[in-house]
Amino acid sequence: MEFLLENILNLVGFLIGLAIGIMALIGFRNTGSPTLFRLTIAFFSISLGFFVIWMGYMVEDLIIKSGNIERWIQTLGIAIQTVGYFFIAFSHSIKSFFPKSRYFRSIGIFPLFLVSSVQLEHIFRSLSFILLAYAAIETMLSYFENKNKGAISVAVGLALLALGEFLGWYSFVFPESILYSASMIIKIGGLIALFIPVSKVPLTRIKFDDGLE
Amino acid sequence: MAEYRTHMKIIGDILATTRDDQQDENGASVTYLIRKANISHSRISRILKTLVSQGLLEQVETKGSNKYRISQSGREFLQAYYTFTNFADNFGLSI
Repeated sequence: MEFLLENILNLVGFLIGLAIGIMALIGFRNTGSPTLFRLTIAFFSISLGFFVIWMGYMVEDLIIKSGNIERWIQTLGIAIQTVGYFFIAFSHSIKSFFPKSRYFRSIGIFPLFLVSSVQLEHIFRSLSFILLAYAAIETMLSYFENKNKGAISVAVGLALLALGEFLGWYSFVFPESILYSASMIIKIGGLIALFIPVSKVPLTRIKFDDGLE
Repeated sequence: MAEYRTHMKIIGDILATTRDDQQDENGASVTYLIRKANISHSRISRILKTLVSQGLLEQVETKGSNKYRISQSGREFLQAYYTFTNFADNFGLSI
């Protein structure tokens, strides 16, 4: 069951990340906007991260057959996704999120390493959670400003990804519980919510014009 | 409080003015664009120069003064600009 969910999650994540990344890339090539460039990097990273983990599961299932995915592959995939989440958060001017005081910065970041210094994977999951939660809050705030309904769906998607990331991270406390499966289902829901408004962008009317680059 | 406009938004406003709100068939003058796009003369001069060199605007000389009108590439750019403004809005961002 967990193996099936992992496969679905990583494949859905790969495809949705790739689709949004391609849209952002088309936007960047047509307008030259730095925001769209950051979104392109963000979603290609997220897509690549899911792809690495999916490939890890496929290789394990079809070739190695050891029953467990190589830990470093999972960590690598999550790290690449974290880079993508960073660029989404960075687009919202992430500097305003971190406290200015050096003391508060050290206090704020300390629990992450205190709890999850054992494995890099947990550190990346913690970072992903923070970045996703920040991006979700900023997106929701932007909805209150411009009332764009698509922003609600994206905010919910990012919040679900954050919750899924949190549960995935927390499941190491209860390894055999339903938490990890729940985290994957929540993340699949988050990815779908992220894609709904983006799928409504009328790309068919856009023509490439190399002269505009 | 005045709304902050990105460089891209200012370009969008200038192109939209030359497309939808022309002074006459020759296009819009710099003074007219300054008023409509709400931007300083020094800044709009730089932007107009870039837009003309990129082929998004056409410069027409009439009675000793320059007027600007949108080109076909400019129309396509503006269409892409509106589409991807909506795309970025979904993420709570401005392009």
